[in-house]
Amino acid sequence: MGLRKRFMATMLIASMAATLFGCGSASGSDSAIESSQVAEEAKASGADVAQAVIDARKAKAEETGEYQKVVVSFFDWTGAPAGIDRINEAISEHTRETLGLDVELMIIDSAAYSDDIKLMLSSGEQVDLFSTCGPGYMTCVNNGYTLDLEEDDLLATYGAELKDLIRPDYLDACRVGGVLYGVPPIKDYAIQTATILVGTEYLEGAGYDVSKFEKDDLGYYKATWDDVDEIFEAIHKAFPDKTVFSTQDNLLTQGSCVDNVAGDYYGTLLDPANSLKIENVYESDLFKEWAERAYKWNQAGYISGDAMSDKTGASARIKSGSFMAMMSQSKPAYQNQINGECGRDMTIFDVGEAFMSSSAVSSFPWCINQSTEDPIAAMQVLTALYTDPEVANLVCWGQEGVEYKVNSDTTINWADGVNADNSEYYPNVLWMMPNQYAAHVWEGDPIDVGQQTADFNDNCAVKSKALGFTWDNTDYSAEFTALKNAYEEFSGQVVYGFVNPETGLKELNDALYAAGLQDYMDAKQAALDEWATENGIK
Amino acid sequence: MLEKDGEDMSGKTKNKNEKKNLKRRIKKYFPIYIMALPGLVYLFINNYMPLPGLVLAFKKYNARKGIFGSDFVGFKNFKYLFATRDAFVITRNTICYNLAFIIVNTILAVFVAILIAEMTSKWKKVYQCLILLPYMVSMVIVSYLVYGFLSNDNGFINNTVLPLFGAEPVQWYMEKKYWPFFLTFVNAWKVIGYNSIIYISTILGIDRGIYESAAIDGAGKWMQIKKITIPLLKPTVIMMTLLAVGRIFYSDFGLFYQVPQNQGSLFAVTNTIDTYVYRGLLELGDMSMSAAAGLYQSIVGFILILAANYSVRRIDPDSALF
Repeated sequence: MGLRKRFMATMLIASMAATLFGCGSASGSDSAIESSQVAEEAKASGADVAQAVIDARKAKAEETGEYQKVVVSFFDWTGAPAGIDRINEAISEHTRETLGLDVELMIIDSAAYSDDIKLMLSSGEQVDLFSTCGPGYMTCVNNGYTLDLEEDDLLATYGAELKDLIRPDYLDACRVGGVLYGVPPIKDYAIQTATILVGTEYLEGAGYDVSKFEKDDLGYYKATWDDVDEIFEAIHKAFPDKTVFSTQDNLLTQGSCVDNVAGDYYGTLLDPANSLKIENVYESDLFKEWAERAYKWNQAGYISGDAMSDKTGASARIKSGSFMAMMSQSKPAYQNQINGECGRDMTIFDVGEAFMSSSAVSSFPWCINQSTEDPIAAMQVLTALYTDPEVANLVCWGQEGVEYKVNSDTTINWADGVNADNSEYYPNVLWMMPNQYAAHVWEGDPIDVGQQTADFNDNCAVKSKALGFTWDNTDYSAEFTALKNAYEEFSGQVVYGFVNPETGLKELNDALYAAGLQDYMDAKQAALDEWATENGIK
Repeated sequence: MLEKDGEDMSGKTKNKNEKKNLKRRIKKYFPIYIMALPGLVYLFINNYMPLPGLVLAFKKYNARKGIFGSDFVGFKNFKYLFATRDAFVITRNTICYNLAFIIVNTILAVFVAILIAEMTSKWKKVYQCLILLPYMVSMVIVSYLVYGFLSNDNGFINNTVLPLFGAEPVQWYMEKKYWPFFLTFVNAWKVIGYNSIIYISTILGIDRGIYESAAIDGAGKWMQIKKITIPLLKPTVIMMTLLAVGRIFYSDFGLFYQVPQNQGSLFAVTNTIDTYVYRGLLELGDMSMSAAAGLYQSIVGFILILAANYSVRRIDPDSALF
């Protein structure tokens, strides 16, 4: 309560102050040029508009001795890294040459980012570019924080390279009501669902032979749920003091191809590749199967009695050494990542299939703040983040020779004496970065991981037909709030197998329908149908 | 006290010298106003400046249009607080818990205050500090202390206490019936130390002469407490209770969210207005709905405090707040 209220109070004061004292927009803009004016003149004379703006900025900087600054904000796990000033200076040194401006990374602790960024966006504090990972893309769009990237041909004129880099269908997937408010980070949009991870040492300890499994396209063992049961039984017997399965509420998100259209599971596409019919997943056979599996595992003693109250992350529990297996989703070059997260060698069993949901691309695009003083400069920096390897390397990995060193095959590893714990710049949010593939590849990952990921996205077996559908649910926020509370009240015991699915599922569904699930699904269906007609999807 | 003096004076002199009087009064109390200034500035910034922002509760917020430029939507933002099946549960929980807290905490705090005030041991200060300690502990930490007792697999109660009596372990975090007691207990444990400070200071402010003459007349300790301490504590108790009544529509978020570990199966007895709003809006991030919830809570609180004060004034005018 205290936190939320204090946040609201600060929010209101900030916005009051902003309205009363004219947004403080005059601050620090001595070094800014009138970009749009320069652009107009350049356009009239037929010159390269983007270059003209850069030149004008440089000229202005010569005059004032100070460069215009563009602020980029995203989160990491620990707050601003120790070396942030050094990295900012290194990036700026480069961008002064290429773009005629300074870049400042404002990295905020993941726990605070969502609130902080909303506060900054609504109070007029300078932040020009930001990741919507945290506050959520739709929240930012609905609250009006984001700039239309195609206003006055902004993207085409100043982000031409960026526009070429990202496939049109992925850009389209980020449109809301036809307007492009964000650019997706280049990453794996498809996921390999239902990946079971088991500590290799436990498999060996149980004498379980994995050589009988064939490997899938990604190089992971292809297994069935029966195999998983067998594995769990074996490691349970060999290590009775350890808990077998480290749970988290991800049966649907990571364990199924059910599409949570519009960002929530209250009304989903059960067969997203073929049908646009919104259905209640919690009544489906698929969810029932999961509930029965969880119940069976719980009865067999594979799940901790504290599963419902223990909020530790699944991989962190495995790292602690008292849990042996978990479920997650995989992708190309997943082995390094998961070994790091779990602090030990993990064996990957692929039980599901590849899936790209409707929100896969638009889950957390990069956006420009609608109140930015200079949209042109912001767009040019955004483009540099995606296309300039020097900038991408600095943002993703820090400085060469300080944070990392380059091997002969262009992969990188920690610089001498540096590791994850003492590195002065290690945000460890590669998947959120605009374009991780413009930067170096970490040692051990395939050198062509960018191409592999692109292929993985393209070859995805189950691609949702609703790719790019978004829905503003603010008219149904009362239902949403009630549904969310109902779900949290009755889902845990089902998801973690503490209740017989027969009774548990009935309780859950009764509560959801009482909270207005039918109305909510109907509204979603209507919006989806309208979207499908507009976009010619059948 | 200050205000009363002023009122008396102006009452006596009537209108004639009012201006002169005012001037003199300001001059007389000027240093005190200066002392109050930081507090007043803080109050103004924190409590009055955001007031116009309350209009947000009736709007659909859009950063591009700003707080005052956003579109009006009437009472739509309030709908989620009333139009659902949870509305009854969260309102009932909020009010009933707060009533229970007011009663239990007041009784315990007065009890502790009297004990400490009567104490002559040299350890008095130590006890007072110890009992205040829980108030300083963050609710998140408290929630893990509770978890240490109640955890299903590793908890102290399931592993050590219950086996002593040969009882079966209990799945504490799934059994609704125990939680009203747990929450009341944790709340009392946490706040009585702090609440008792005010009662202790009131007791210490009571004229010792009254006790002495009572003792001469043969009143024992118990009689003194019953006939002197408690009656003289009454105005403070009423004031504290009135203040608490004004906040009856708010709940201690940490207590109801963290301590039960946000456990779904306990919602029926742990969901309050604050936790309900938090859960719903965490994902929606809707400022207008959040403002609506805040406005609703403060308006109901305002009405309740007026009503409570009115009834106190009818019964005992001296004890009323205003």
